[in-house]
Amino acid sequence: MELAYYPGCSLHASSQLYDIQCKLVFKGLGMDLKEIEDWNCCGATAASKTNDFLAIALPARNLGIAAATGLPEIFIPCSSCYSRTLVSQKTLASDAALKDAINAELTHKVNGSIKISSIMDVLVPQATSGALKKKVVKKLTGLKPACYYGCLLTRFPCDVDVSDDVENPQGMEVICAALGAEPLDWNYKTDCCGASASVNDAEQARLLMSRIMKDAVARGANCIVTTCPLCQFNVDACQDEVGKKYGIEKKLPVYFITELIGLSMGLDPVEMQVDRHLVDAMGLLKELKLI
Amino acid sequence: MPSSLMKYEAGISLPLLEEVTKRSGQNLSACYQCRRCAAGCPVGEETGVTPDRLIRMVLLGDRDAALNNLLVWKCVACYTCGTRCPNNIQTARITETLKQMAKEARLEPLTPRIADFHNSFMTATKHFGRFNEIEGMAIYEMKTALKELSKGHFKAIIDELVNQARLGAVMTKKKRMHFALDKIRRRSEVKALFEKARKR
Repeated sequence: MELAYYPGCSLHASSQLYDIQCKLVFKGLGMDLKEIEDWNCCGATAASKTNDFLAIALPARNLGIAAATGLPEIFIPCSSCYSRTLVSQKTLASDAALKDAINAELTHKVNGSIKISSIMDVLVPQATSGALKKKVVKKLTGLKPACYYGCLLTRFPCDVDVSDDVENPQGMEVICAALGAEPLDWNYKTDCCGASASVNDAEQARLLMSRIMKDAVARGANCIVTTCPLCQFNVDACQDEVGKKYGIEKKLPVYFITELIGLSMGLDPVEMQVDRHLVDAMGLLKELKLI
Repeated sequence: MPSSLMKYEAGISLPLLEEVTKRSGQNLSACYQCRRCAAGCPVGEETGVTPDRLIRMVLLGDRDAALNNLLVWKCVACYTCGTRCPNNIQTARITETLKQMAKEARLEPLTPRIADFHNSFMTATKHFGRFNEIEGMAIYEMKTALKELSKGHFKAIIDELVNQARLGAVMTKKKRMHFALDKIRRRSEVKALFEKARKR
């Protein structure tokens, strides 16, 4: 099975490891990712804050390129890119004039029919159907993740049918349980970590992150697991600062869901670049004798 | 007069209410002040203005208050308020609209760094079609440093540079820093979209 693939800017830069992991894990599950050609930045939070036209037009160009591949589905791993692209498709479905204005500038016109999938949309059915469990060669015994969804997997600025519970999603917990880990119940799984304000409103961003860290630690989590590269980088990179400022002594590695799936499928952690986290992510795996 | 003391008068309220309703696509008139949004807003305590208050300012036609408050700038677009609203009002869309209106009215941003970051992000995206972290951060740091310099805030500049250098060093050590610039081929298409956005 082949899926069109939009990595987004972050997976071509600081979160290149996530790009590598997505390709490896999806291949292991029988899916090939075909990166769409000449894709552009989705505009992320900056476009929606500054310009309504660009917030829709930038992802629309990518949708046109994706449609030209002829593939029925596009997979977008970054929550922000996924959200912005979905909002663009939904908006254009009911605004023909805007679609015409955008299409006038594009080589590949956007038509709006391609299915847009988040990483949860693709992986959760693999877990519920039992297909994922068949690939598990190593149980992740002893791993107690706090599954962190962040804002943009379940909440949208327009009407979207969300396949999981909006206030208490369970998709990542289902996946983690299939891998033999023990996901914990906790309070902050859909709260904002402040990633979009991490640079420009640091004090506010650190406060938001401290609430997440405090609860994860208090619940006895030994790691956090997430799907969004912006959340992962923020919570990984700012733990030193947040820990010192808010008196949180314990540090938690912040895994991508692909790292846990890959490990249990027997993939090499170094090939997946698990050693490139800012909070050490190899030590816990060694301690639990998972590598 | 603070908007909390004002009463709804169509003649005063409607011009602002109609503009924000149309541009944001949100039916502000449906708000009945239940404050579910306020309970869920992650920045409400710091901004002092919660989504319900912001909607009220617009409903009462208090343009100054609606365009000049911290929620408009510090909203993290987490969409909690809109997801919980029983009347399906997405206040994050309203903050986006008001932020753009504040810019059009040439108001000085209450939090210049937030405005500078978003503008730097868009400049970098327009340039190569993709956002290169190293380029976007360089534009942003330059903008903020020049502003701090003009105010004589030398310590703020040094603190910021030390912080960024520290992060850069850790990222380089962990091979998370990406120095090559990613560019698209048909940059003219992206530039044309930016041009169209400017003229609209």
